[in-house]
Amino acid sequence: MAAVDLPSEFDVVILGTGLVESVVAAACSRVGQRVLHLDRRSYYAGNWASFTFNGLQDWIRESQEQRPPEELQDWSSLVKEGEKLMYLPHSDSASISNIEIYCFARFRPITDSSGGDGTGLRLFKPIRVHQEEDHLLLPAETWVDPPLPVCQPINFSSSLGPFLRQLMFSRGSLVDLLIKSNVSRYAEFKNVSRVLTCRERRVQQVCPHMSLSRPTNWTVFLTSGHPYRGRPYLDFLSDQQLGENLQHFLLHSIAMVTENTPTEVGLAATRHFLRCLGRYGNTPFLFPVYGLGEIPQCFCRMSAVFGGVYCLRHSVHCLLLDKDNRCKAVIDSRGQRISCGHFVVEEGHLTLDIKKVSLVTVPPITAGAPAVKMVELCSSTMTCIPGTYLVHLTCQSVGSAYQDLSPVVTRMFKTPQSHDQDAGPSVLWCLYFNMVDGSGVQVQRQDLPSNVYMCSGPDGALGHEHAISQVICILPEEEFCPPAPNPEDIIYDGDSAYSTGEDEQGEELQEGEDLKKEEADNEKTKEVDGPNDREEQKQMVESCDQGEELQ
Amino acid sequence: MSMEDYDYLFKIVLIGNAGVGKTCLVRRFTQGLFPPGQGATIGVDFMIKTVEIRGEKVKLQIWDTAGQERFRSITQSYYRSANALILTYDITCEDSFRCLPEWLREIEQYANNQVVTILVGNKIDLAEKREVLRQKAEDFAESQSMLYLETSAKESDNVEKLFLDLACELIREAKQNKLDNTDSAPMPGEGKAISYLSCCSLN
Ligand SMILES: Cc1cc2nc3c(=O)[nH]c(=O)nc-3n(C[C@H](O)[C@H](O)[C@H](O)COP(=O)(O)OP(=O)(O)OC[C@H]3O[C@@H](n4cnc5c(N)ncnc54)[C@H](O)[C@@H]3O)c2cc1C
Ligand SMILES: Nc1nc2c(ncn2[C@@H]2O[C@H](COP(=O)(O)OP(=O)(O)O)[C@@H](O)[C@H]2O)c(=O)[nH]1
Ligand SMILES: [Mg+2]
Repeated sequence: MAAVDLPSEFDVVILGTGLVESVVAAACSRVGQRVLHLDRRSYYAGNWASFTFNGLQDWIRESQEQRPPEELQDWSSLVKEGEKLMYLPHSDSASISNIEIYCFARFRPITDSSGGDGTGLRLFKPIRVHQEEDHLLLPAETWVDPPLPVCQPINFSSSLGPFLRQLMFSRGSLVDLLIKSNVSRYAEFKNVSRVLTCRERRVQQVCPHMSLSRPTNWTVFLTSGHPYRGRPYLDFLSDQQLGENLQHFLLHSIAMVTENTPTEVGLAATRHFLRCLGRYGNTPFLFPVYGLGEIPQCFCRMSAVFGGVYCLRHSVHCLLLDKDNRCKAVIDSRGQRISCGHFVVEEGHLTLDIKKVSLVTVPPITAGAPAVKMVELCSSTMTCIPGTYLVHLTCQSVGSAYQDLSPVVTRMFKTPQSHDQDAGPSVLWCLYFNMVDGSGVQVQRQDLPSNVYMCSGPDGALGHEHAISQVICILPEEEFCPPAPNPEDIIYDGDSAYSTGEDEQGEELQEGEDLKKEEADNEKTKEVDGPNDREEQKQMVESCDQGEELQ
Repeated sequence: MSMEDYDYLFKIVLIGNAGVGKTCLVRRFTQGLFPPGQGATIGVDFMIKTVEIRGEKVKLQIWDTAGQERFRSITQSYYRSANALILTYDITCEDSFRCLPEWLREIEQYANNQVVTILVGNKIDLAEKREVLRQKAEDFAESQSMLYLETSAKESDNVEKLFLDLACELIREAKQNKLDNTDSAPMPGEGKAISYLSCCSLN
């Protein structure tokens, strides 16, 4: 709160607090680098952020505002001999466009906001609370979770990142990193309870309990794709004597690819899905409670614990380049010169010229058209009020978000535009927007100084491999996020804290352990179901692994 | 949870302006040290102290800000799942008191709404430099339904009391919750990988 000056020398200056930037910050601080981590916004996680309902209103307002172009200030007094200035464009809002909002419920503002119940949405309580069956959009008994006994701190929290960004595959670089680095102790997770698919307007459950009996030999299935290399996965599937339903499942719900995706890509995605299955719960996904926006924050906390300096509402105006075209220092938004060895920046601050594919996310709705992906979240994910659901819809955009998704919305849900006024759950409120897809971003580019790295925002691809691989590009030689010591193993030697942190066994607070225990529990449950299932699953995973080796 | 060596586990989180003595309070309580050395304590995430209250073992997990309060940039996730918040100001620094409403807004936004909040005026050993009257702080705390206590991390005044009072209050609430939620069987499909909430508040 006090207007303290920032230190003026760092090893790494990072602008933007998205996932990639935050992992870089944690990794650098962890190996003793002095990190300054800034974000121009007043919240963490950038385009990965999750918001409360009120926070989302603010975000909408900000995104729609036309900010006057910032005046270029004259920093020449801070430039030393032989240095060159490189201005960073202020182009952030360009990553979000076509915002449209529709409100179908009447909201009653509760006048007494001084009551301070600590929630956002309570201020906008819907008058018309939905009938329970309205929400049983999807035909399964397991859907309605019992409300958490602990009171929800936040009644609505919506993440910006597109569909697959809401969830994490239970195996893969991100989960591995969370566990390995002990960063996971800052977050809580829930299992995704079901994966469904929609075909000819009928919603069907893919897992758990999808019968897998047809492609009995997964090894054969997963390795017979060679002749189809480069040809569409769908061609391969149609030649496998699978039923149409199974083809549909494999293509859209398991591999989650399009009809034109090459076979080898489709098979790799299928293999990944199968391998993630059964690690935690019945589906291959995990959901971070409060939304995916928590994850970058967890890495930021780790960085701060190891000395990283954090400053929101603070940006970098320009870089100072030396004769060898390396970034020597930055000038921040208060006109302070801060020297640095490396500069890492969120895309959007540097890239007006990259061609991008856009993505669309629609918070409160639902879908079925193959290319549209949907996540439905219930209130115990801490993202919405009890009795309501939060639904994200995503697709690769053709037109504006509204043009692409509203047909799906009116078909699957009840809105004033729907033909069938009896079918489907009612929409209370919905938001459409387009978001830039980060998948095309290269970490290092020819036109940038060699010690300036660019990180992408959320992209539409599967998993978070792309995000983590960017970090590894940036930090090729460092030990990558070694486990943080457990606070209980830290030995204090007089005045100075000293960490041992090696012996972590039997520690109930260790995430890794915790997850392992859970895994064991899962396995136990399966054993109760029938020992064969368990065996089958193991074989399945093995066959997946073999499949990979053979490919 | 049956094999654990405690009856309750609570997460306590400290907030307040930089320099008001948060880190000193934690170090004084957990290690009996003052001053705890200069500079930030690198790599220390939270501290643990187990205390016994009326025959029950209570494990307190005490989280410090990791310096993120310096530029008002505390991650929201820091507040999540805290059972109690210690909002600290420095009685010799009016400014740290004037910032309290800002901190309360942050608590309101991000913390669990059942969180127990206590306001602490620290550095009472510097009585001659006092800038914030005790009465004023008490009134403010009462208006925000917070508990209030004045401490000195340096002289170890009220530090033990601060944490023990909190622990008692948390136990009381946990027992109350248990009574209120008699039908709360373990939740199916709950994948909470890690929970610092006590057994009592989650079951
Ligand atoms: C997409 C996908 C998702 C999955 N999700 C999960 C999951 O979430 N959780 C989980 O535990 N497992 C999952 N599995 C693993 C797997 O399906 C297990 O086989 C499953 O748990 C057993 O389910 P089932 O009761 O439907 O039996 P099935 O797989 O249908 O069959 C059980 C046994 O009966 C035999 N059988 C099946 N149909 C016939 C038939 N018509 N005639 C004769 N014999 C038959 C099979 O050969 C097998 O030996 C998944 C598999 C896939 C491909
Ligand atoms: N006199 C006095 N000084 C204190 C007390 N507590 C902390 N300090 C001093 O206040 C400064 C800031 O303390 P610190 O714990 O680092 O504050 P934090 O930024 O809130 O964590 C240090 O110089 C401490 O020595 C106290 O109770 N009395
Ligand atoms: Mg401190």
